[in-house]
Amino acid sequence: MKTKGFAKHYYLMLLPGFAWLAVFGIFPMFGIVLAFEHFSPVKGMFGSDWVGLENFRYMFSLNDTKSIFVNTIFIAIMKIIANLVVPLVFALLLNELRIVVMKKWVQTIVYLPHFLSWVILGGIVLDLFSLDGPANQILHVFGIDAINFFGKASLFPFLAVGTDVWKEFGFNMIIYLAALTGINPALYEAAGIDGASRMRRIWHVTLPGVRTTASLLAVLALGNVLNAGFDQIFNLYNPLVYSSGDIIDTWVYRTGLLNMQYELATAVGLLKSVVGFILIGISYFAAYKWTNYRIF
Amino acid sequence: MRHKKKSIAIAMATLALVVSACGNSNNNNSAASDAAPSGSSSSSASAAPADPFGKYADPVTLSVGQQVDPSDTTLPAGDTPDSNQYTRYIKDNLNIDVKDAFTASPTNYNQKVSLSISSNDLPDAMIVNAQQFREMSDNGQLEDLTDAFNQYASPELKRVLADSNKRAMDTVTVDGKIMALPQAEDAGVHEMWIRQDWLDKLGLQPPKTVDDLEKVADAFVNQDPDGNGKKDTIGIAAPDSSDASKLYANFLESANNLYGFDPVFAAFDAYPGYWVKDANGNPVYGSTTPETKQALGKLAEMYSKGLIDQQISVRQDSGEPVISGQTGIFFAPWWMGYGPLTDAVKQNPKADWQAYALPLDASGQFKPHLSAPAGQFLVVRKGYKNPEAVVKLENLLLRDESKFDLSKGSIGFYPVRLALGPSDESEFTVKALQDVLAGTKKPEDFSDKPEYKLLAGDLANIKKVKTEPYDKMDIQYWNPNADLGAWTRLYSLMVGVSPFMDLEGNGVSSLIYSQTPTMESRWVNLQKLEDEAFLKIIVGAAPLDSFDKFVSDWKQQGGDQITSEVAEAIK
Repeated sequence: MKTKGFAKHYYLMLLPGFAWLAVFGIFPMFGIVLAFEHFSPVKGMFGSDWVGLENFRYMFSLNDTKSIFVNTIFIAIMKIIANLVVPLVFALLLNELRIVVMKKWVQTIVYLPHFLSWVILGGIVLDLFSLDGPANQILHVFGIDAINFFGKASLFPFLAVGTDVWKEFGFNMIIYLAALTGINPALYEAAGIDGASRMRRIWHVTLPGVRTTASLLAVLALGNVLNAGFDQIFNLYNPLVYSSGDIIDTWVYRTGLLNMQYELATAVGLLKSVVGFILIGISYFAAYKWTNYRIF
Repeated sequence: MRHKKKSIAIAMATLALVVSACGNSNNNNSAASDAAPSGSSSSSASAAPADPFGKYADPVTLSVGQQVDPSDTTLPAGDTPDSNQYTRYIKDNLNIDVKDAFTASPTNYNQKVSLSISSNDLPDAMIVNAQQFREMSDNGQLEDLTDAFNQYASPELKRVLADSNKRAMDTVTVDGKIMALPQAEDAGVHEMWIRQDWLDKLGLQPPKTVDDLEKVADAFVNQDPDGNGKKDTIGIAAPDSSDASKLYANFLESANNLYGFDPVFAAFDAYPGYWVKDANGNPVYGSTTPETKQALGKLAEMYSKGLIDQQISVRQDSGEPVISGQTGIFFAPWWMGYGPLTDAVKQNPKADWQAYALPLDASGQFKPHLSAPAGQFLVVRKGYKNPEAVVKLENLLLRDESKFDLSKGSIGFYPVRLALGPSDESEFTVKALQDVLAGTKKPEDFSDKPEYKLLAGDLANIKKVKTEPYDKMDIQYWNPNADLGAWTRLYSLMVGVSPFMDLEGNGVSSLIYSQTPTMESRWVNLQKLEDEAFLKIIVGAAPLDSFDKFVSDWKQQGGDQITSEVAEAIK
């Protein structure tokens, strides 16, 4: 085989990806200068007046800044944990299921919500939890007074996490199922011969088998600590839950696009990116150290 | 080897797909960018005399940002937003080639315009809102229209804009120069819509005061007005989660607030969201006054009794329960026939929605807040060579709007259309309709009023949808099915406009309808503070006295500075 001709078309296939990256990933980076300017569209991105760190100073003087960072981190961390644990548990349960048809059916049904956008799901979720919706009807059966779920700031983060897990766990589960099929059946047989019960087999064979996958996903998720999910929150929140539900991205949207304060929105976005970059760096080294996984 | 061949084939196929897709989008892009800057190229030489309807000798190109409603299917096959009866009529009469630099649906139009402004990639002309107009004016992105307007505006256009809507014209005059053409707003009065049939069934009168309102709402909630044996009715509708629905209209978006509590606040002499004068004549933000606190206290009390929709601000569309017949009272502008009422009547032909200028305040008066004189502005890009072409477009529109056949493309497709009309258009129309119905005048008596462009049609249609007796407005004396389109408009006018025909002198205007410099950086956060604090008070998540904390926070986080800027601005 001639290695020379062999590699060429693979590089060609990379081209569209690089073009995408350049247009949507690299070129927009220059927009960062907005964070240090008093932006005027007529003077343009590079001609506007330079104000240094003024926008950042203003940002930290706002009472909102602290609360949106706290909300974002709180919601995001809960989502990361829940999105690791729930799919794993579900994958283990599904793996123990013996009826193959049933297993496939369940697997297909639970991952369906993943393919719907939050614009649609937001409407469904709001209806489910409305005062006369199914959730409150169930509570009513047990004699509990109706709860205005999405009007309570104390409940909002948990509803956001819960509905996000409901939407995504079926899809996240697929990775675990793949890892589970990768476990050598001989190990189960050996454990069976040694007299291990079902629970013992899960504990000593299955769980160690998916440990690498789980810890890798956990470490990689670190980079998302500042992404609490704009499309979800935006479609679910309202002023009553701002105190616990307003996140960086929704704040930037309102400030930047609706109120045309591009500089301030860019400054907050940049801060978010810098913190996110540091976390991704940490997760890269952590992934290498603990699970011996290297991206590059 | 075989595998390798296969992978090459797949690679080629993938590439082909990608390349063709790129090719397509490139073509589109270049077509769009051809259209955008072409305005200046072909036009400069054609110097027409100052004739408002003068046809250019050489074609003039005008690129516009156009709002296109995707649900509007009136265009005949072959016509596009770029080429339809209006663009052809303009081409034939004025020799102006109108091109769309961009089109956007109503929901995205504002964002599209904002992006266009911030990237300085402007069409020659477009419609913008007050904030965008101010922004463009500050940025120096606007062409001076003073000469174009003075020389080329037709006498009718001058009458409609400069005479009858003087206040609107003032808002577009910056340092003595006309920088845009304004669209005059109607007064934007919010009134009470109520189920008359429910009132009659329970033997109640329309609520005159806030205390009455509470009693009626209580009856609507607890006495089963819809007679289905279930306690499923809503006394008073509350704002929903959409942008068009707020607790009250504010000085930046001062008209067309749906399902808010504007009249309830006004009944306490409270004008939250507006800049008003305090007892000493100094400007004060209406949301920080004791009257507002009092009104909030009453609303909180009514909410806790279940008289106000419990899903305030969480519900996605408060129009839905109105349509399905669950809601008894809501507050909104006059045009509710265009809102939920057409569907409500389709659902239940007996749903008798009537409008009242109620509740009254302690002195027995109805004092609504009035909207900004102009809400939309037609602007021209700085450097466009033929600004008078835009004035001519509006001349032509005003003269000939009633001649077009709307079934061959609705009027929304007219390029950069301003809804032009005298400021008393709805009131004048209602008066004329009443006269014609009473028999004191004939439709022909109004034939000398061309600037009231829909009047002739309204007078022709009224007896089609209104049944006798002509002085009773209840739903059983209408025939919506005869012509639903005409009914929508005429019901809105006769029921919605009549209550406040004699009230305008009582209205309260905001001292200022635009932002001051500090507001530009602080307002989003102050607004958030306010929305959150007020909603929490109403639903009982915070005590009424947290209002005082809101006021001090508001002042400290920039409110004081903004107040002094407002004082400066109105000097």
